[in-house]
Amino acid sequence: MSDIINANPTILNPSDLPTRHSESRKKQSSSAHIADKISRLPTSKSLLYDPFSSSPGEDSAYSSGSGSDQDGDDEDETAAEDIDEQEIYDLISTISDPEHPLSLGELAVINLPHIHVTHTPPTPQNPHPMSHVLVEITPTINHCSLATVIGLGVRVRLEQALPPRFRIDVRIREGTHQSTDQVNKQLNDKERVAAACENETLMGVLSNMLATCK
Amino acid sequence: MALKLVGSFPVQPDRVWCAAPHPHLPLVATASTDRAVRIFSLRDFSLVSTIEGGHKRSIRSISWKPNAKGESVLATGSFDSSTGIWHRDEHGSRDDREQSLELNSEERDENEEWRFAVVLDGHDSEVKSVAWSSGGSFLATCSRDKTVWIWEDMGNENYETIAVLQDHSQDVKMVAWHPEEELLASSSYDDTVRLYKEDTDDWVCCAVLTGHTSTVWSISFEKNGHQSRLVSASDDQTARVWHRKPKAESENPSMQPPSIIKGTADETENWEEQSCLPKVHDRTIYSVDWSKKTGLIATAGGDGQIVLYKEVDNKKDPPNTGLEPSKQWKIVAQVPAAHGVYEINSVTWCPKWDKKGTTVDGELLLSTGDDGIVNIFEFIL
Repeated sequence: MSDIINANPTILNPSDLPTRHSESRKKQSSSAHIADKISRLPTSKSLLYDPFSSSPGEDSAYSSGSGSDQDGDDEDETAAEDIDEQEIYDLISTISDPEHPLSLGELAVINLPHIHVTHTPPTPQNPHPMSHVLVEITPTINHCSLATVIGLGVRVRLEQALPPRFRIDVRIREGTHQSTDQVNKQLNDKERVAAACENETLMGVLSNMLATCK
Repeated sequence: MALKLVGSFPVQPDRVWCAAPHPHLPLVATASTDRAVRIFSLRDFSLVSTIEGGHKRSIRSISWKPNAKGESVLATGSFDSSTGIWHRDEHGSRDDREQSLELNSEERDENEEWRFAVVLDGHDSEVKSVAWSSGGSFLATCSRDKTVWIWEDMGNENYETIAVLQDHSQDVKMVAWHPEEELLASSSYDDTVRLYKEDTDDWVCCAVLTGHTSTVWSISFEKNGHQSRLVSASDDQTARVWHRKPKAESENPSMQPPSIIKGTADETENWEEQSCLPKVHDRTIYSVDWSKKTGLIATAGGDGQIVLYKEVDNKKDPPNTGLEPSKQWKIVAQVPAAHGVYEINSVTWCPKWDKKGTTVDGELLLSTGDDGIVNIFEFIL
């Protein structure tokens, strides 16, 4: 990594990056509610961590067919609604680029319109609300060899921060990289990601990238 | 018809990759991210032993050696690039087994002495799958290094590499042996399945199965005396059944080029896709297992579902044509959220045991998930 791959990237002004402040969210009922949401932005993992899905006790309760987990349902569904594109953006736009002292948001590698979140409500067949997030990455140059490392950083950050009901897809945005399919296949191979996370050298690079996350 | 949850083992807090039932004892071994192998009893679903210290990274795969005399032998494949062989004496011959099982659990624990016998080095990167041949004389391993290795058990804990197969162009995900023949299959990130057999002195690729449009994660052979079939499951969200076409159906031998030109072993067996199972998974299918007992196929994957398929006569066939009725695959059971919100990494069929340790009618299906749990299901007619 001694040779800088893109020595002169385009940089966005931090004040132009999307936040809840600048976003016009007409659906929100009151500004007080928005302020409340801002104060609840992810300062720690635990805020996002969904106790409904993560507690092992809950799972064994489900496994044995008992309905003892009904109490918390309303609250948990509200929590599910809370995680939207902006919140995903806040989680990953602050990741540092592996070769520039800049964030992925500032380099426009991560862009709010390229994040898609869908929530599936519980059904009679599946009592669990499920969620899906698709993040499309725009590498700074189309032959960026660090695209895989950046993608892995985004995936690892989301896997650590999001509750387990989330299915995560990280892709290189169509037409922005010369080996999009190859990188996408690797980034979404569960086993390769798991093995990469046991590689100390790679994890050293990733932990530096993630150190700037709030 | 339904799959009913009859029990579960909490293995560890993180992902359990797979579970393997013992070839003749009521035991199941699990492979998990905490670098340990755990062995559970299928009589009372209790933890019997935890084997640690052999691997430096996650254990991805595990296989019991069939026909091991007087001992149990396990092979483990790890992300640390090595394969481990573990031994435990079985208190005398198989005839004494009944007696040894009479021991209460405390005594059993004292007698549980697993020994890390051999480390098989050779792969350049993570070992993804390990599998003993049905006779127990060969062990196949595969890796992200794109190779499949075959090791022969020479006795006295000696293993010899008898083949390094480099036919895949990418990461090899799984190896599986035919239940009756010495025929090996491997599936890969290169979207293909390859079959290998011994040709004079060399192991060679004898068929390539193409059709999947993404990584083939899992493969399983059918056990059926008169025909050979294989099912494969993929990241393309499909599971496909392939069959070996009998020699008689292939071209007139005199039409084939002389053997000296034929050269490529790829043509020595003629396999083709027979059917695609009904499509119900909407994420990667990570695992497929063909029951050697009932002929049912089970699949599971990233969408958290377990699905069972049965082959039935095609009702659309006109009756009395004199031809053998055509078959089709039908879904007979479907369990959404079989591990809550978590992904499922493997499904494995396994005999059912009573509390005394004798096999009884019926069959169990074991599933392992990212929740660190093995769930045990029974198929109820």
